[in-house]
Amino acid sequence: MAKQLIPKNQNLIIERFEYRIIYCKTGRARYISHLDLMRTMQRVFKRAGIPLWYTQGFNPHAYLMFPLALPLGTDSCTEILDVALVEKLEYGEIKDRLNAAMPEGLKVRSVAEPIMKHTEIASAEYVIRFTCNYGADRAKELFYDFLGQDRIEIEKRSKKKGINLVDIKPHIRLVSAAAENGETLIDLILPAGNSFNLNTAAVIDAFCRSKSVEINSIYTERTKIMTESGELFI
Amino acid sequence: MEEIKCKIEQLLLKTQKPARYIGGEHGSVVKDKSKVDVRFAFCFPDIYDVGMSHLGMKILYGLKNSVPNWWCERVFMPDKDFEAHMRENSIPLYALESLDPLTEFDFIGFTLQYELSYTNVLAMLELAGLPVYAKDRKSLTPIIVGGGPCVCNPEPMADFFDLFIIGEGEEVNLELLRLYEKMKPLAPSKEEFLREAAKIEGIYVPSFYDVEYNGDGTVRSVLPNTAQAPAKVRKRIVKDFDSVYYPDSFVVPFTGIVHDRAVIEVLRGCIRGCRFCQAGFIYRPFREKNIDTITEETRCLCEQTGYEEVSLSSLSTSDYTKINELLERLSDYTDEEKINLSLPSLRIDNFSKELIDRIAAVRKSGLTFAPEAGTQRLRDVINKNITEDEIMRTCRLAFDEGYQTVKLYFMLGLPEETMEDVEGIAKLAQDIVDLYYETPKEKRGKSIQVSVSAATFVPKPFTPFEFEPQAAPEEIAKKQKYLLDCINSKKIKCSYHQQNVSILEAVLARGDRRLCRAVYTAWKKGCTLDSWDEHFRFDLWLEAFSECGVDIGFYANRRRSYDEVMPWSHLDYLISKEFLIRENKKAHNAQTTRNCKEGCSGCGVGRNCGGVYCG
Repeated sequence: MAKQLIPKNQNLIIERFEYRIIYCKTGRARYISHLDLMRTMQRVFKRAGIPLWYTQGFNPHAYLMFPLALPLGTDSCTEILDVALVEKLEYGEIKDRLNAAMPEGLKVRSVAEPIMKHTEIASAEYVIRFTCNYGADRAKELFYDFLGQDRIEIEKRSKKKGINLVDIKPHIRLVSAAAENGETLIDLILPAGNSFNLNTAAVIDAFCRSKSVEINSIYTERTKIMTESGELFI
Repeated sequence: MEEIKCKIEQLLLKTQKPARYIGGEHGSVVKDKSKVDVRFAFCFPDIYDVGMSHLGMKILYGLKNSVPNWWCERVFMPDKDFEAHMRENSIPLYALESLDPLTEFDFIGFTLQYELSYTNVLAMLELAGLPVYAKDRKSLTPIIVGGGPCVCNPEPMADFFDLFIIGEGEEVNLELLRLYEKMKPLAPSKEEFLREAAKIEGIYVPSFYDVEYNGDGTVRSVLPNTAQAPAKVRKRIVKDFDSVYYPDSFVVPFTGIVHDRAVIEVLRGCIRGCRFCQAGFIYRPFREKNIDTITEETRCLCEQTGYEEVSLSSLSTSDYTKINELLERLSDYTDEEKINLSLPSLRIDNFSKELIDRIAAVRKSGLTFAPEAGTQRLRDVINKNITEDEIMRTCRLAFDEGYQTVKLYFMLGLPEETMEDVEGIAKLAQDIVDLYYETPKEKRGKSIQVSVSAATFVPKPFTPFEFEPQAAPEEIAKKQKYLLDCINSKKIKCSYHQQNVSILEAVLARGDRRLCRAVYTAWKKGCTLDSWDEHFRFDLWLEAFSECGVDIGFYANRRRSYDEVMPWSHLDYLISKEFLIRENKKAHNAQTTRNCKEGCSGCGVGRNCGGVYCG
């Protein structure tokens, strides 16, 4: 029999206070991967002196939860982080202390009580700005053509089925398309959340393949995270 | 800056771990360029993941940035994918804070930590758009400087650098940059500046020395060719180690790096004098910080960085004079803050139960020991004063606590090594496995894994083995095979290093200036990132050596006589040649030497260098 092991830093603080943090991830911070963001945020809390609640057990870890991953390279001012603390703090104080400890490009916009459940997330809106081997207007037309196809098939990898073709056309909702200052602007709503997720890179890749478009520069921003009914997720 | 930023932003989306190339980490220092008089680009000649783990860079980065009108930034070697993107898009090598190209800097400093990073230095200079040879860089700036342990013999890199900083950098870096700040308004020529710099103790300007050779290829003399250059350049030492600058914050990376934690330097130098170990000699004397200083630096660094782990750095942490008291004080703080305290570099002989408990406090990792040699006789040859009993005693303590993995580091090809010594490695590993099975079942862990790692010995300058030949490749291969044959337990895993790497290290470690051309040629042929197995091209190195007329055997496998002039003989690391000769003779007689704590053995380091046990 192995002897009874007691984890040394097991604390018995049961009470936890939950907060939803809405923050921006822009500029240099857009290149932080989702996995690295977890570690980065944990260190921000430590620097800010805001005590996170730790899971109880042999391998205690801080409770931090990102309900919807942001693809690397995408800007956003509507990101969500749910945390549990061992102390009750004013929303404003949490915001100010976190912002003082944040690296460039990460900034808390507001702190709130978590009301909606993560499972309510259904879609997200994105604005994509790009320049390519066509003029901005022509590229806009090509994008309309692209969406006008009967099917838009992309390869999806899954563990069970391997690679298979999926028609993503019914999942793409175009909000607007425009040409401005030599750039093409596409505003899209794509499914997000637990059941089905579609990221902008998959859509743009399919567009480039189908219309022989070569991207020169591209900036993507997530502008909204929404529920099934189109309400903002908060 | 904006131009580079726009270009790289698009490329980052196609790059592995892009956060390595854009900066912006917490703790990185950004200054207003218009208020800065001296700009220093600190280059680590390897990729971000490795370079960001290096403590020396963190110290010198913080130190230089503590002066308001100086700005020190970080530069790393890009990985192959991003390097290709940079070349295709004509992006010059840039510093991570300002994203400015290196050509805009006053100084470009490289730390030379290992020989296999040498070609990266050339690659980085070229990526920056600078001529790699010092003689081809005519203007005052950027001034290319080098430091780190490898500059105890910088000769194979001498043609590429304007100057080297010999010894510890904390004081001399300030003196050098102050001199530059003073002279800059006078717009001196590069040579005028170097002449003044050469007067600073610890500054070595290679172009101020001429090397002559004997008919047999050995060095006849290394002599200064200008009045300002001293006959011998003496290494710098921080005498008052307790009050030396230490950063109150680190740059905290986003992406995972090799050592991603806070690091506190508790002591510098080593009392042991293991005869193969260069660090054990070139960092002498042994100095330590006070417990109050260490505790305060730990608290400050943890608060500023938000790290969940702090590691104590030294060559041998258990030699800290008040180790138990120190750990008690530190764990009072780290336990409270849920910070993991890790203690690498512990020695077997004074490993107490208390120490084991401390290490196991948060998470139980494996035990790692470096007996280096398989038999007591050979351990006496190398002066690794550990007995088998001590190893067993420590393992018993560890197994009682439920430890399940033991890593053992050895070297093959040590002077005086026989097949019996090789067999001894296997036997020691087997004894440890047996000891595990003797541990009562209710105490011991579920299983046992002993990993044996056998590196090839590389003789290094400023050690008693600097005279020794490296064992011939065939001999090493024979010993590696024999070692595998001697191991017949599934509980023992054995691995050894790629031999070609050790051969190259042996050539470069004790090379002279004639190797500069070979380093250049190897790089031109495509050698970079040599320390990465997947990129190491020994075939190209061999081509380069052959084209440049370099005989590997002359540098790697030749015994040097005691009176040979070494290529580094004009550099003074305070360790006397007489001491090294004495130690070499004792080694061949398998006689040990006491450590500094037990009594002085007269290595040559003076009484006035701040050493705890000196005088």
